[in-house]
Amino acid sequence: MRGGMSDMTIVLRSLRTRTLATSVATALVAIAVALLLVLLSLREAASQAFRRGTGNIHLLISADASPLVAVLNGLFYANAPANPIPWAKFKEIQEGFPWQWCIPTQLGDSFRGNPVMATSEEFFTDFEPVAGMPFQFSDGRVFEEAFEVVVGSTVAKEHSLSVGQKIVFAHGSGGSREGGHEHADHPYEVVGVLQPTGSAHDRALFTNLVSTWVIHAEERRAHETEASAADAPNPKGAATAAPSSTAADGHGHDHEHDHVHVDEADLRDDEKLITGILLRIPTRPGSDSSASIAAQFDRMRRDVSITVAQPAQQIGRLMALIGDIDWLFLAMAVVVLISSAASIMLAMVSSMELRRRQVAILRVLGASAWRVFALAITESTLIGLLGAGIGAVLALVGGQIATTFLQERVGVVIAGAVDPRAAILVAAGAVVLAAIAGIVPAVKAYRTSIARHLRPLA
Amino acid sequence: MVEAESQGGVSIRGLRFSYDRGFAIEVARLDVAAGEQVLFAGASGCGKSTLLHLIAGIETPEAGSILVRGTDICALRGSTRDTFRGRHVGMVFQTFQLLQGFTALENVMLSLMLGAPTLDQPRVRAEAALERLGMRDVHAPVDRLSVGQQQRVAVARAVVTEPSVVLADEPTASLDPANAEAAVELIRSAARVAGAALIVTSHDPALRSVFTRTVDVSQFGVAAAAGRKGAAR
Repeated sequence: MRGGMSDMTIVLRSLRTRTLATSVATALVAIAVALLLVLLSLREAASQAFRRGTGNIHLLISADASPLVAVLNGLFYANAPANPIPWAKFKEIQEGFPWQWCIPTQLGDSFRGNPVMATSEEFFTDFEPVAGMPFQFSDGRVFEEAFEVVVGSTVAKEHSLSVGQKIVFAHGSGGSREGGHEHADHPYEVVGVLQPTGSAHDRALFTNLVSTWVIHAEERRAHETEASAADAPNPKGAATAAPSSTAADGHGHDHEHDHVHVDEADLRDDEKLITGILLRIPTRPGSDSSASIAAQFDRMRRDVSITVAQPAQQIGRLMALIGDIDWLFLAMAVVVLISSAASIMLAMVSSMELRRRQVAILRVLGASAWRVFALAITESTLIGLLGAGIGAVLALVGGQIATTFLQERVGVVIAGAVDPRAAILVAAGAVVLAAIAGIVPAVKAYRTSIARHLRPLA
Repeated sequence: MVEAESQGGVSIRGLRFSYDRGFAIEVARLDVAAGEQVLFAGASGCGKSTLLHLIAGIETPEAGSILVRGTDICALRGSTRDTFRGRHVGMVFQTFQLLQGFTALENVMLSLMLGAPTLDQPRVRAEAALERLGMRDVHAPVDRLSVGQQQRVAVARAVVTEPSVVLADEPTASLDPANAEAAVELIRSAARVAGAALIVTSHDPALRSVFTRTVDVSQFGVAAAAGRKGAAR
């Protein structure tokens, strides 16, 4: 060593001579601190991400079993809703109140595991995926005709989609990579790519309702034709398309059917199915609330054929449910932190025989009992400080990984930034616990008998 | 605090220290003058090391005084005694008791840092002390040094603070006769250069001829009336 000696030199050398024990204790503190910080940051960020992910809608209507499921399916693409809403019901709701806007949506198809939402152009002009932040295009435009598709930013990036490309959708849930059979007869042309919004919509694709209705009507009618041919005495009669008045869903069907062509004008009312309605009630400028929201909510709740949800309220309920679980995680992280402090104490106490001899030498050289007490406390505090520092870095990296994972898998953008106040509090807690863990070995060092521990080793 | 009759050396008066095992040492009067070099002789277990520990203030007697450089070390309490020991008493142990994980130079500098923090240029002093004793590789970790080199470091550490007294506890116990003689000479010469009184304990009769004055510690041993009264520190 070229520089001068200090008490810190003694502490650092002491730590270095017990590298393994020091490393294990430091790693435990770091893991505990990182866990706590990640959980704290994600807890708040997840809540915010879900809250802002509902966009600027006031009410959501679906035929799902519960309002919470309706919100998770309709706005976060958890699953394709199982039950459809007839077009007539949409018209009835649309005309039943002077909404600021009323947007139909239909979910069911997918593109390589990403959900496809059929909707109207108002979805891009009126609906805001994040309140105050309307959709913006990084390239292209809104769909204007059938079989045109607008893709979310994450989908475009993941599958290298750009304007002008032709893609084919699969029948089935967006939640499955397998999906169902492909609608190979009807390729869609990418006409627009959206900018990232930080919402679940980034991993969805959007097309108009007519495209979806036509595809499914053709498939349904083809099945009906095949079924009629199978039942008929003369199999040769099977080639003619003969629409039936009963509309089966068509899931799980054989795909080697004859082609049946359907135009928009040919669509029957029972083939115009949607799965959701996004609603916004007129509000005063600068306000997001209106007394009419509750009134309309209560009015429509009486209709047992639909499920009405106030997304903000449902997300609040969801957060309350999750809240109990994440307190459990936080408690576990605190237990890990306390365990790490205990490990510091054990590491120091287990090396006490060697340490006592060192203490005795320092005392002979002039160090007071209080000084060796302080050296032991400094040593454990330093482990806490080092662990807290490494833990904070781990939390930053871990938070980033969690953010990326949640964005890609759940479609929820969580800015997993560590709150500086929480970080300081957790780090300070870790350091204080580490310092407390040093008290037992420090007392032992303080009470070390110089004479006994300077005797030659046997 | 009692004034020393022997300023700079060691003066013991009316000392009594009892062990747990029903044995005690009593020293009515013993003086070691400044710069004097004395051998504490006697069989193993007669109390040589204990007497050395009492002089260093590591053990506390039941009665009596021990003046080191005119200060009764027994009357000092807590950190005052530790500081005094670090500044005025240098110790050399049979197994050297060097701090593992530190270099030779650092071991010597630690002595200055803890015992004599007011002395200037600690690094230069430590290097000079080691060089005077023939240590070349001062930056080598002590666990890589030979026994002879470790002894040099231990001696340098004891004298670098310019103590009033150097206490060497059985410094030759683990050495062969040739090396024992060299080791004792090393310590004697270092103490002489530092101007310190030197007290060496040994049960080796051969050392009696080396020192001009030998104190037989066995004469201080008495049977204790009851259990131990002194306190170890």
